[in-house]
Amino acid sequence: MALRVENVARRFGETTVFEAVSVTIERGEILALIGPSGAGKSTLLRTLGLFERPEAGTVRVDQTDIWAATERERLTKRRSVGMVFQEPNLFGTTVRRNVEYGLRVRRSWRTRFRDLVPVIGNRTPPQPVVNALSLVGMEDAIETPVESLSGGEAQRVAFARAMAYDPTYLLFDEPTSDLDPRNTAVIEDAVITATRGEIGAVVATHDMHQAQRIADRVALLLDGEVVEIGPTEQLFSSPQDPRTQKFIDGELVY
Amino acid sequence: MITALLSDGYIWSIIRVSLYVSLTAIALSAVLSLPIALIVGVTEFRGKRLLNAIITTGMGFPSVVVGLLVLFAVSNQGPLGPLNLVFTPEAMILSQIVLAAPVITGISLSAIDSVDGGIRDAAYAMGGTRLDVAVVTIKEAKYGIATGILAGFGRAISEVGSVLIVGGNIVSDGSSYTRTLTTAIQLEARQGQFETALVLGAVLLVLVLSVNAIVIRLGSGGGRSR
Ligand SMILES: Nc1ncnc2c1ncn2[C@@H]1O[C@H](COP(=O)(O)OP(=O)(O)OP(=O)(O)O)[C@@H](O)[C@H]1O
Ligand SMILES: [Mg+2]
Repeated sequence: MALRVENVARRFGETTVFEAVSVTIERGEILALIGPSGAGKSTLLRTLGLFERPEAGTVRVDQTDIWAATERERLTKRRSVGMVFQEPNLFGTTVRRNVEYGLRVRRSWRTRFRDLVPVIGNRTPPQPVVNALSLVGMEDAIETPVESLSGGEAQRVAFARAMAYDPTYLLFDEPTSDLDPRNTAVIEDAVITATRGEIGAVVATHDMHQAQRIADRVALLLDGEVVEIGPTEQLFSSPQDPRTQKFIDGELVY
Repeated sequence: MITALLSDGYIWSIIRVSLYVSLTAIALSAVLSLPIALIVGVTEFRGKRLLNAIITTGMGFPSVVVGLLVLFAVSNQGPLGPLNLVFTPEAMILSQIVLAAPVITGISLSAIDSVDGGIRDAAYAMGGTRLDVAVVTIKEAKYGIATGILAGFGRAISEVGSVLIVGGNIVSDGSSYTRTLTTAIQLEARQGQFETALVLGAVLLVLVLSVNAIVIRLGSGGGRSR
């Protein structure tokens, strides 16, 4: 069971971000995606997250060829993949409504309307919401309006929001690049805790130390090509590709 | 004197017609405008700027010209001739739709346009369907959309030109058929009935001012982001 892209191509008009990239993420592992700005990390994550259909190649979620599947199948499979962005992107409501969102969209419209009615609707927070918030130490803020959260707290809620509906794969696009060390540690710990179960995670990051701290494997993306992919230890201590060494040494400046 | 006027069936019938015409026009305009605003607001396509410019121009379209065009449309020679709408409240509704729809579309469009794409990505990432993403976008833009609807109402209820042309300012048996607050004020003032005109003016003013007060409140409440 894995999330995988095979020879995918992504183009924006004249710009080709990548021609033929292949990556596989197994459940239970953390893959760090490193590479200079503009290498295509976000584009690759969006392809893995099924945001846009690649111009060529195959995206598979647990064997299913997503873009060849029916609309229904695609939605079901897409719902096993979650994504957290660099910005929290919270909805302008309470923490609770944000974290409940993933559960809510999976319910029937009938239940969703019922829940709008205070008397007959279910008012106690669902256990998954509380659990997800506890992962990042935000359970006490459950009824707080998001406007009053700090940036770090907002990002922790964004993480909880992606965990609440029990995804199988989680994609992170520079989730801690706006955060202080303490909030960064909270998010990193939560990613590690989450993947101890069945979750497979990809973390795009500029921070090589972060990759070393949390990743089981690392992939280096350069100019839309996976130059090297391998176990974290090995990639940093004895890279196989000279470009990897250069990138680690900070010589590849773009 | 004023109490006497306010208990007057004539005045109430005018208020009733005004509210009926403008509220119906606004409801229909909103139903028409919101999908357009949503589609134009969240998609990128060539000619988007031109379309924006057209909508903005429509916001300031002179109401007499709209009245003229609608009158032609509903007249015997016009495409809507068979419906027999000349000098009816429904014709006034039609012309107020033409006047208010660009206002509602324009203002909600810019509100929807300014909803961060990241918000939509987040809804999609959590498993939202296209419909779910649209609902989230509307919720995030709700203050702007409400402002647009209220501004459209303000324009519709206070407009004279088109309702005069297509409605004809008709009263039958001392009760308004197509006479609105604005056309009544215009007529009463011309006939020297200042008392009545002033009462009608005050009613219109109160209506418009309360709508504006709501718009301003929404504006300050909607100042927050995300
Ligand atoms: N929607 C788009 N339209 C046009 N070009 C795009 C679009 N998205 C990405 N690109 C281009 O694709 C290339 C890769 O961008 P991408 O955002 O994937 O890089 P990245 O590795 O995530 O960079 P960063 O580290 O700065 O986030 C860039 O050259 C970018 O200009
Ligand atoms: Mg990026």
